[in-house]
Amino acid sequence: MTAEDVARDGPGKAFMLCNEAIVRGALESDVKVVSEYPGSPTTEILDTFSELSTMFDYKMEIASNEKVALETCAGASMVGLRTMTAMKSVGMNVASDSFFSLSYTGIKGGMVIVMADDPQAHSSQTEQDGRPFGPNAYVPMLEPSDPTEAKRMVKEAYLLSEKYGVPVLIRTTTRVNHQSGVVQLDKLDRKPFAKLPWPHPPGRFCTVAEAARNFKKALLERQRKIQEEFEYSDMNLVKDTGSEIGIVTSGAGYNYTVEATRILGIDPSILKLGTTYPLPRKLIGDFIKKKRAVIVVEELQPYLELHVTAIAKDANPELKIFGKWTGNLSEALELSPDIVATALAGVLGLGKPVDYESIIAKANTLKTGLPDRWPTFCPGCPHRATLYALRQATKGMKHILATDIGCYSMSFLDPINYGDTLLSMGASLGVAAGLQYAAQEKIVAMIGDSTFWHAGLPGMVNAIHHNDDITLVILDNEVTAMTGQQPDPGRDYNAGGQPAKPLVLEDVIKAMGVSDITIVDPYQVKAAVEPMKAALSRKGPNVIISRRACALYADRNKRRRGEAIQSNKVDKEVCKKPYTCIRNFHCPAISIDDNDRKAVITKELCDRCDVCAKLCPFGSIKLREGE
Amino acid sequence: MADKEFSVYMCGVGGQGLVLLSNVIGSACALSGMRAITGEQHGLSQRSGSINIHMRIGKDVRSPLIPIGGADAILALEALEALRYVEYLRPGGVVVMNSRVQHPIIETGEHVKDKSARYMDAEVVKTRLLQVTDKIATIDALGIARKAGNALTENVVMLGAMSTLDAFPVPDDAVEQAIKDGVPKKAVEVNLKAFKMGRQEAHGSLCNIVKCRKGFPEPMT
Repeated sequence: MTAEDVARDGPGKAFMLCNEAIVRGALESDVKVVSEYPGSPTTEILDTFSELSTMFDYKMEIASNEKVALETCAGASMVGLRTMTAMKSVGMNVASDSFFSLSYTGIKGGMVIVMADDPQAHSSQTEQDGRPFGPNAYVPMLEPSDPTEAKRMVKEAYLLSEKYGVPVLIRTTTRVNHQSGVVQLDKLDRKPFAKLPWPHPPGRFCTVAEAARNFKKALLERQRKIQEEFEYSDMNLVKDTGSEIGIVTSGAGYNYTVEATRILGIDPSILKLGTTYPLPRKLIGDFIKKKRAVIVVEELQPYLELHVTAIAKDANPELKIFGKWTGNLSEALELSPDIVATALAGVLGLGKPVDYESIIAKANTLKTGLPDRWPTFCPGCPHRATLYALRQATKGMKHILATDIGCYSMSFLDPINYGDTLLSMGASLGVAAGLQYAAQEKIVAMIGDSTFWHAGLPGMVNAIHHNDDITLVILDNEVTAMTGQQPDPGRDYNAGGQPAKPLVLEDVIKAMGVSDITIVDPYQVKAAVEPMKAALSRKGPNVIISRRACALYADRNKRRRGEAIQSNKVDKEVCKKPYTCIRNFHCPAISIDDNDRKAVITKELCDRCDVCAKLCPFGSIKLREGE
Repeated sequence: MADKEFSVYMCGVGGQGLVLLSNVIGSACALSGMRAITGEQHGLSQRSGSINIHMRIGKDVRSPLIPIGGADAILALEALEALRYVEYLRPGGVVVMNSRVQHPIIETGEHVKDKSARYMDAEVVKTRLLQVTDKIATIDALGIARKAGNALTENVVMLGAMSTLDAFPVPDDAVEQAIKDGVPKKAVEVNLKAFKMGRQEAHGSLCNIVKCRKGFPEPMT
């Protein structure tokens, strides 16, 4: 699908990613303000809004972090406009401070928060289960299982949000966000953008002490009403086949359940919950009342299982409940159709539908010697060069490297294996502060430009104020590279290419009180080593900025300007096989020719950063010409 | 034809354009009134790592993930990746794989240490895969893409080859329309050419070992 499909007026049909369907749902609901910080698996929501922002009149910001994004939406919704923000599981942690208060104060215009968990930690630091945010903050939560439902639930969420004056969570998981399907497009009925007069008395959105206590009383009443409404909501699906075996599920778990019942040829009753906070307790009670056994199919924590167990105490004390606590399913990793089919077969005492274990065992035998291919730095990535230079500069210097969240997080993985701590956005600086008190080694912190703006600033303030002995390496590649090169506060443009004021890293840091700032170009890899070494030998806090645009971003700009992307090649007459271009560098474009064991460069992959050519002691790597 | 199910496990290396293929197939399904769903990998996918997309067509499919042993076909844009996901292939399923190997950096790193080491190649992959299916077609997609006029159309060459399968339920004209809609305007011609050349290539390989659509094998032009 293309962005035009998301923007096309209905009725019609289009094949789209769930994240695009979420945008479509918001557009059909006349969303007026959007603010987000990118994070997988929600990034395509931001990218689609950004791409369409010149075609519609909504206001959009790529915010400096998720908390600011949520607050931006909160402000606009307080006035009365419809807003949307979206964030990954761990982004919700950053935003949660205001999220809890916002549930107390409420809003006026509809506000939808998309929160995406990442079972399997595909691109996250933990397998965090965000569902407790709903009950903990008393914020209603809807869970779609596919793009069609996601679009519909977004529209329902705006109605609920305005009816009860509360933000609404749409909770997804990676396999829902990154699922495409054919979606029905409805009419786009959009009103022209207009600012509204502030309609509220003083103190309306202020919560503390007595005000907080009053808000709490009101929100409990609100929660009771929403639960009552959810008891009859058609976002919950009951399929009672008359079977005494019931399955309670939601989201991605539902998809695997349906597939598993097809594999097994069984027809159990299914309760698919779309409103997972407040849970429709009566509906669940009615469903389990006539069942002999219930299997709860959900990813991560036993959230539904806990509540089904509690409801069963009165509704059906004899009920046998199977799930995580009985060991039929795991709290670790994402589910799949075969995992659910195996679990159902186990509970029901059915024979194995397919002998998955022997298929996997055979496959593993066939894969003997198959090399791993983990994600790594792209050809031309400046991080590869920075890390190489940093290793040279720290030769003989015992040090600890506190890293952060971004593409450079991959440095601790095979085959580079460089990096000692990695917790969360901006944590490199805080952790480094503790390390310098406790460890005998030199402390180096490493952070990207976007992460520095996002959550590194408070850590920087802290390190400067306490005169912490840290050298901070900022990898300035101009964009939020990891998620697809979105502009960050260092760029002169923002969402949809709209002009923005660029912040200059060294100016900001200098103004904060650090004058020891060294700027290097990682593509000049050898020239970068000495200045880095000198900086690392001085007492911190001081800063090294390694500045070079993300290779993918630079390539895109080159293509836009009609410039060719060149490549290098190895002159085999000159190559004496020192492998300097491979050791500690590991570019995917460089391999070894099995015939003569000399290095070769794959034309299609090479980006001609020319760093390997600079590393080669024999000068055997040259520009590829006339091919 | 519309109620026939088809699940293809598509895999390759980050940057090869898998997402374009699933968008083209899915949009072609939407144009033809068919139901299609995918389980895709985004986020870390441009980082030269192994990537996969589960593509499923059929009115009753619900899971975006193909079950182990449930794929009718594996479409591998890189040879080693065909082996990496072999457990998804159903018994007797079809493998359409690119002959090109992109050597993983971990393997290259090992070669520096061990002089006797040799890379795993497409022949080894094929020999291993023969233990689970005899329906394997190897396509020189990069060579064909270059002949079509753009090395970047390697993915569309592979789609062309797979689209000749009798079991692939999406009509050709819908796929071609989806290619036109899905690629940049100035690249439409070269992609359509790559698609056609991929189909012709299937004549000499795929269609000798598995049932292709009527009209295949079609003569080379």
